[in-house]
Amino acid sequence: MKDKIKLDWGIIAKYGFILLAITVVCTLLLALTNRVTEPVIAKQEEQKNIEAQQNVLPQANKFKKVKNLDEIKKEVGADGDIIESVDEAYQNDTLVGYAVKTTPNGYGGEIQMLTGIGTDGKISGISILEQSETAGLGARSAEEDFQAQYRGLNAKEPVEVEKNGELDGNEIEAISGATITSTAVTRGVNTSADAVDKLEGDK
Amino acid sequence: MNFKYLTNGLVKENPTFRLLLGMCPTMAVTTAALNGVGMGLSTTFVLIGSNVAISALRKVIPDSIRIPAFIVIIASFVTIVGMVLEAYLPSLYATLGIYILLIVVNCIILGRAEAFAFDHTVSESLMDGIGMGLGFTMSLTVLGSVREIFGAGSLFGFSLFGPNFEPVTLMILPPGGFIVLGLGIGLINWITIKAEKRKEAKAEETSTSQEVKA
Repeated sequence: MKDKIKLDWGIIAKYGFILLAITVVCTLLLALTNRVTEPVIAKQEEQKNIEAQQNVLPQANKFKKVKNLDEIKKEVGADGDIIESVDEAYQNDTLVGYAVKTTPNGYGGEIQMLTGIGTDGKISGISILEQSETAGLGARSAEEDFQAQYRGLNAKEPVEVEKNGELDGNEIEAISGATITSTAVTRGVNTSADAVDKLEGDK
Repeated sequence: MNFKYLTNGLVKENPTFRLLLGMCPTMAVTTAALNGVGMGLSTTFVLIGSNVAISALRKVIPDSIRIPAFIVIIASFVTIVGMVLEAYLPSLYATLGIYILLIVVNCIILGRAEAFAFDHTVSESLMDGIGMGLGFTMSLTVLGSVREIFGAGSLFGFSLFGPNFEPVTLMILPPGGFIVLGLGIGLINWITIKAEKRKEAKAEETSTSQEVKA
């Protein structure tokens, strides 16, 4: 036969109250910190977006979101799912290129990145906005050295990843130990190029 | 004051090399020296905060609900560190990523709360937090430096050997972490054993000389 467990409601209430008090104080502290840091974080995010867009298209000073994003996604096909937004980039009033935000899947989840493609059909630059790749390996995709490789490549043909050996043609060198990340970023670039291709074809 | 609690965590009970606590973040972030410093200092802040808070509340928190109470306190400090880092040191936050939030489950913090802060005074717990935190930071920095020097040919981001250096990628991959950690533990053990033997030999010497005198 089982022993009957006797519940001491007084103790339960007391302990419950102590836990409640601790959590209330902690929540207050968290809310306070959040109040202070939230606007700073939001500002940084915004700043980062503008900087990233200018980073990939240095000559542009005005950006405008395209409206037919869903159509473009459909036209690109299966990879269209990773397109987040397409912006037309203007220098004063002349169209100079496009900034495409994509989210390809890396080793540690989604990589948020921006690809700039000029009206001359060349990649003008890329920028990794957010990633959770392995520190010291895939996370190095956020470094300038890696991103600079894409600059000037032909957007009309797919960019390919070279693991070791000579680079020839439309290729970039993979980060050693992080092929998955390198391939993912390249997929983002190629999908962006596709999107721009379809967008220009529509006109 | 309580300086013995301060030095305790640095060598004798070094969290990484002696207690072998917090191995997950140790392995994951020590691919570069700067990451080690950042992770170490973040953990130190949480450790000091939670040690002090838990020690101050040790008479209020009943024994049977201490674990949930500890977790709530620790998690709050970690979240605060995360938010502050994201706001004011975004580049470090970006590199350390998820491991900041994983400080919550770092065994050092809950371990020190259980083993130390819950039955010591606030000032002793403060000292213990500082010592353990700095010990952890030191070990992570050493591990990160060694792995960065061999695995990337740089230290704190500065290139050491020029462009012709062929980095040993293995060192920044997980196996490199285990190799460096193993060598580190071995080295520290070797030093402690040697020091102990010398102490014993000295003790024996004095006792025999005393016998002769007698």
